[in-house]
Amino acid sequence: MRKAEARVAIAGAQLVSSLVRSLGIGEGAALPGRILIRLYPEVISGLSKSLPAVLISGTNAKTTTTALTREALSGSFNVTSNITGANMDTGIAFSLVARKVTAVGKDLAVFEVDEAYLPDIGSKLETKIVALLNLSRDQLDRVSETRMTASKWSSFLKLNPHITVVANCDDPLVVFAAQSASEVLWVSAGLNFFLDAYSCPVCGGEIDFSDSGWRCRCGFSRPSPDIEVSRNTVSVFGRPIEMDLSLPGQCNVANSAIALGICQVLDVDLDSAARRMSTISEVAGRYKRVSIDGHEVRMLLSKNPAGWVEVFDMVGDDSSVVVAINAQLADGKDPSWLWDVPFEFLKGKEVFACGERAYDLSVRLHYAEVSHVVEKDSLAAIRACGTRDVSFVGNYTSFQELRNRLNGNDGSLVGLIRSLGNRVFG
Amino acid sequence: MKEKIKVVSVLPNLLGTYGDSGNAVIVSKRLALRGFKVDLVHADLRSGVPSDADFYLIGGGEDGPQSRAAEFLAIDTPLERALDKGAGLLAVCAGFQILGRSFIGPDMAPRNGLGIFGCRTHRFEGPRSVGELVVDPGDAMPGVPMMTGYENHQGITELLDGTRPLGIVRAGNGNNFGPQVDGGVIGRAIGTYMHGPVFARNPKFCDYFLSLVLGHLDPIRDEGLENSHNRLYFERINQVLME
Repeated sequence: MRKAEARVAIAGAQLVSSLVRSLGIGEGAALPGRILIRLYPEVISGLSKSLPAVLISGTNAKTTTTALTREALSGSFNVTSNITGANMDTGIAFSLVARKVTAVGKDLAVFEVDEAYLPDIGSKLETKIVALLNLSRDQLDRVSETRMTASKWSSFLKLNPHITVVANCDDPLVVFAAQSASEVLWVSAGLNFFLDAYSCPVCGGEIDFSDSGWRCRCGFSRPSPDIEVSRNTVSVFGRPIEMDLSLPGQCNVANSAIALGICQVLDVDLDSAARRMSTISEVAGRYKRVSIDGHEVRMLLSKNPAGWVEVFDMVGDDSSVVVAINAQLADGKDPSWLWDVPFEFLKGKEVFACGERAYDLSVRLHYAEVSHVVEKDSLAAIRACGTRDVSFVGNYTSFQELRNRLNGNDGSLVGLIRSLGNRVFG
Repeated sequence: MKEKIKVVSVLPNLLGTYGDSGNAVIVSKRLALRGFKVDLVHADLRSGVPSDADFYLIGGGEDGPQSRAAEFLAIDTPLERALDKGAGLLAVCAGFQILGRSFIGPDMAPRNGLGIFGCRTHRFEGPRSVGELVVDPGDAMPGVPMMTGYENHQGITELLDGTRPLGIVRAGNGNNFGPQVDGGVIGRAIGTYMHGPVFARNPKFCDYFLSLVLGHLDPIRDEGLENSHNRLYFERINQVLME
């Protein structure tokens, strides 16, 4: 493709992106990315020349770990990243359009990458580091089962021995994949959901988990970690770094440990990286508290059983919890996974079951002996809460839906025009 | 106090990928709400699978763990022995496949199943069967209306002599072989491709399953619970049949 044609493709994509954003119908990366790839198929390799890339993948915590890593590295590098969380080829392609080339050796890409897309995207970019967080059941109607994904990661790393891997040594499926890399930094980032990990990916036997690690009788076992987490302290090769994060939950300390692992590989000062990470208080609308009619609502996103275990840690003392479950394409169309979530944890709280699949959730809550009220409309449920501090937990589209409504776009034509008006005149 | 009932969730660490362990929770609770004392056992490779229980629930899983489960259950055939003693068994998806005469292993080669159901499962060379599944049992199970669930598999299951289907498929693929049917029934053993879990979506099917072993059961008097079950049941069936 000639340079001029590529430029036209990029300009077209940028135009569509600003349209999408001003209409308030999306974050403006996925659709223009699709157009861009159609017009300029080699866009990812074409726009990433001399741009070393750090890729972060796994079932959960991609967006948050990428945000922490981006912040940690931004003192030392000029970072290009997929800030909106669009993590398939289309989102990566569009992020590269915004790349600003600066001094040699200062440019770096930090991308979160969908677990199924990692081998393809990783081969097109000048990938230097891959961080592997975890693998567990999610959107089984779209993404393949966890063992298939782990095998694909493994083949990709075998073919690319120049890549350094930063991997969670507590997750057997991640270790299975990471073992194929020539260089690995092992981070004990924890595992909070074991159902996908019991069956050994090497021999099919049952893995033994204990407080000190895990092991299968075939010899496959937990590598000893280079980086460990103990409450708010992350030890990097024995050197303690105190984390004072604004983000809630122990899982985010573990996410910051992965980010520090990436900093270590890139030889970035760890103390200043830790300071930078502490300033982040929300990621793509998640974690922050918003005021809604007298309620202070903590906005949480949780898409699958493993994610829910972390949410329970963050809900904390909030005595009202509004849970919204949809089953759109982006959520996975089968909410059977609700039965793998230990909802018993919500006993004693005021609970609302919301979203398109509120009754799937309601049946589940009954069997967990959690008393609750069904109110499909999340916003109405929040308004009905009896306490000031409320946790809202949505899966992907139910979370985005509430976020859009809070931003004044209720999805209707009138809402759309209103939000467009706000953007143009307001 | 009524008798004590033992319920076994069979190898949920291997065959629990699709939320099917919910079936064991639902069975246990619906018994407890009727005054039975319930002992729910999660049987794994270490504990082994007891052969003296009243109900067995086995779910869907990935190809590797599925084969491991089949090997393990073939060792001293606890399920066959329990069925001979009159136990009830529900097997879903991969769990259903390994209880047939043969299924496909992760290496794509056929493997021997336990032969509880007269069926053989082959690999379908077309697209994976993914989506809502509606199964009409006709008059075969008194009190059980049309059922819904969610299927997600690559199999075609061919029913052989002695095993009749659970019902006729009204939407989705089910066994994906010949005249459109789902699952298999032989004695007190029932197989299906419906996740959801199937007993969460279809409580009357659950109660029918319980009555296979326990005879007549009184209705459950937890109105909130039964109301949510009903709302879910009608919401799913209306939505799927309208599409």
